[in-house]
Amino acid sequence: MIVTPRIGARVAAILLVAAILQVSFFSYLSLLGATPDVLAVVVVSLGLLGGAVIGGVCGFGAGLLLDSILLQTLGVSSLVLLAVGYLAGRYREGFELSSALTAPLLAGALTALGALGFSAIQLMLGVETQVSLLVLREIVIKGLLAFIFAMPLYPLVRRLLRPALVDGAPAGRGVLARGRVERARRRRGRAARLNRGVSARRVRGGVA
Amino acid sequence: MALIVASLVILSISFSEAESGPLSSIQRGVSAVLTPVQEGASRALKPARDLVNWFDETFDARGENDGLREEVQALREQLADAQKAEGENVEFRKLLGLRSAEATIDAYKRVTGRVIARSPTVWYSTVTVDVGSGEGVEVNDPVVNGDGLVGRITETTRGSAQLTLITDHRSAVSAKLLPDGPDGVVEPEAGDPEDLLLDFIADDEEVEEGQMLVTAGWSNGRISSAYPYGLEIGRVSETGAGEQENFQQVHVEPFADMRDLEFVQVLTGGPKRPGVPE
Repeated sequence: MIVTPRIGARVAAILLVAAILQVSFFSYLSLLGATPDVLAVVVVSLGLLGGAVIGGVCGFGAGLLLDSILLQTLGVSSLVLLAVGYLAGRYREGFELSSALTAPLLAGALTALGALGFSAIQLMLGVETQVSLLVLREIVIKGLLAFIFAMPLYPLVRRLLRPALVDGAPAGRGVLARGRVERARRRRGRAARLNRGVSARRVRGGVA
Repeated sequence: MALIVASLVILSISFSEAESGPLSSIQRGVSAVLTPVQEGASRALKPARDLVNWFDETFDARGENDGLREEVQALREQLADAQKAEGENVEFRKLLGLRSAEATIDAYKRVTGRVIARSPTVWYSTVTVDVGSGEGVEVNDPVVNGDGLVGRITETTRGSAQLTLITDHRSAVSAKLLPDGPDGVVEPEAGDPEDLLLDFIADDEEVEEGQMLVTAGWSNGRISSAYPYGLEIGRVSETGAGEQENFQQVHVEPFADMRDLEFVQVLTGGPKRPGVPE
């Protein structure tokens, strides 16, 4: 992803809207007994599109925003979402998104991992009451919901950031599209060299 | 790496600094700026929220219907007894010059607020309401809704306040079992918004399912509970042997549905409770 000031503003707007929708809409929903974590899905999407650094920065910013809106302990959400965004970005840098299900599966797994990390931080900070086993159920269902929500959200985020994407080809055709682009580039290079050779011969022969 | 360090530093400072610290001030500033946006989004998205939750609630309601019929029958019988006892109670209070629980709660000003945001995780059972210090709301003010006790105010900005629910893992409420049961402390079971635990009830105390709990309004003259006496909390749903020796474990189902809060009332400006910071 090429981050220009315009694209940076677009990413910030995406995170702001996602955070507002999370606390004003999605947090009220109780699906299968858990609350969907759409902000984590958006951070995973940004990591998958922009790489580890962009994913990490977006996760950090989204977490700070969420904690500020809810007047929670600052830093907990940013630490968790930073890790989620960074890991999504690292996957993007190391592997190809070979299937349309890869992004949703990653979103589900990383959201569940984030919820697990959040629980671990809370336990480290100190919980004086008993902890219900429902916490584990919540983590699993959050992952499942993230998988479902990522199906429309990842393409949506990708569409919103399309002008900034390096591989501007449509999603899901990475390897083939790159091959075609590479072959076309080689053909253009050969044609240019050929043209230069013809021009030089013409100059030497006095045609030009 | 720098961001991880930054997160840890912010976390450490935020965890240890006072309410008037610089990070808290920035946080409150961001919250104050975004409150109108959240309020607008919350109102605009309410129909969509209601639609999604309607399916969930309809599914649950079918199962609850039979149980509620039996409960109505039992409550009718209890009502007749309670009305007789209430008449006697009023007479005795007049004779002794005692104030009733209603009179204590009536001393508070009620500020009605709308819930505009809530935390997405089970670890923070907190919501944001659209009334704040501008309306006279103060930290530690108790909050109720039509069903019973909801929680207390833990942070305020000019136009909004953070309400920590009684299901939050940092919450503890001194409570009394009615009609003449022992006092205990109601604590949540982290991760389960439909279950509270009543702690410090001795093994030999008799506790029955269905008994009601209200806030005890405990005070020893120097320190007090933040909650006045008589706010309804919930009903005993299950009793059993506790993990701690000499104490039994009492499960309480809260009257207020913490997952479905729309409007709440902040009880503010009441009699000063010793030891409760404002």
